[in-house]
Amino acid sequence: MEGLTEMLKGTLEGCVLEIIGGEETYGYAITRRLNGLGFTDVVEGTVYTILLRLERNGLVQVAKRASEVGPPRKFYTLNDAGRAELATFWAKWQYVSTRIDSLKEGGR
Amino acid sequence: MNIWETVTGSDLTRDWKAFEARAQALPPDYQAAWAQIVAHLMPYGGFTGRNLTPIVDAALALLEEASADGQGISEVLGEDIPGFCAALAGGEGARTYRDRWREQLNRNVARKLSRLGD
Repeated sequence: MEGLTEMLKGTLEGCVLEIIGGEETYGYAITRRLNGLGFTDVVEGTVYTILLRLERNGLVQVAKRASEVGPPRKFYTLNDAGRAELATFWAKWQYVSTRIDSLKEGGR
Repeated sequence: MNIWETVTGSDLTRDWKAFEARAQALPPDYQAAWAQIVAHLMPYGGFTGRNLTPIVDAALALLEEASADGQGISEVLGEDIPGFCAALAGGEGARTYRDRWREQLNRNVARKLSRLGD
């Protein structure tokens, strides 16, 4: 879906954490995964700046690996702080989404 | 970085020469984007711009990886290069001289105010 950028802003970091939490991966693969989920607006530059922030905040472990083509790639895995952050993200998401759903269904 | 490099900025000149050489190796549309990135990052530079070196290095590495993957530049950066640069420069990686002036000002004001209480 297009035009989601604004709405995704706060949640994209959590999505990236979740993807890294699944397996060690790199920027391009994360972008493709998000595109595949239907977030077609997300470009590699966006994911890249999120990865930089995660790295700065000490939530990921980074390893440089040679690739078949071009320069070495940076691969990311979650560390303990990253896993804790991911759990917090899902808790917050749960909170927001249940309340928005109940708003839509007219509950109070 | 030795004292000579600090004073003359010769390390910066060398770094930027190396960056430009790496940029020259990129495809033409990437080079155009690179020029835009540099232009948009400049306002985040400190007095010497030394704070930008690691950021520029990271941005170039992304462009190099992406072009090796055979991606088009618009797939990589989308439409929002200024936004990309702001996100790149964000955080403690890029403190500008304005930040330092602000801190200095705050310190001076705090000192003056505390002296008033004497």
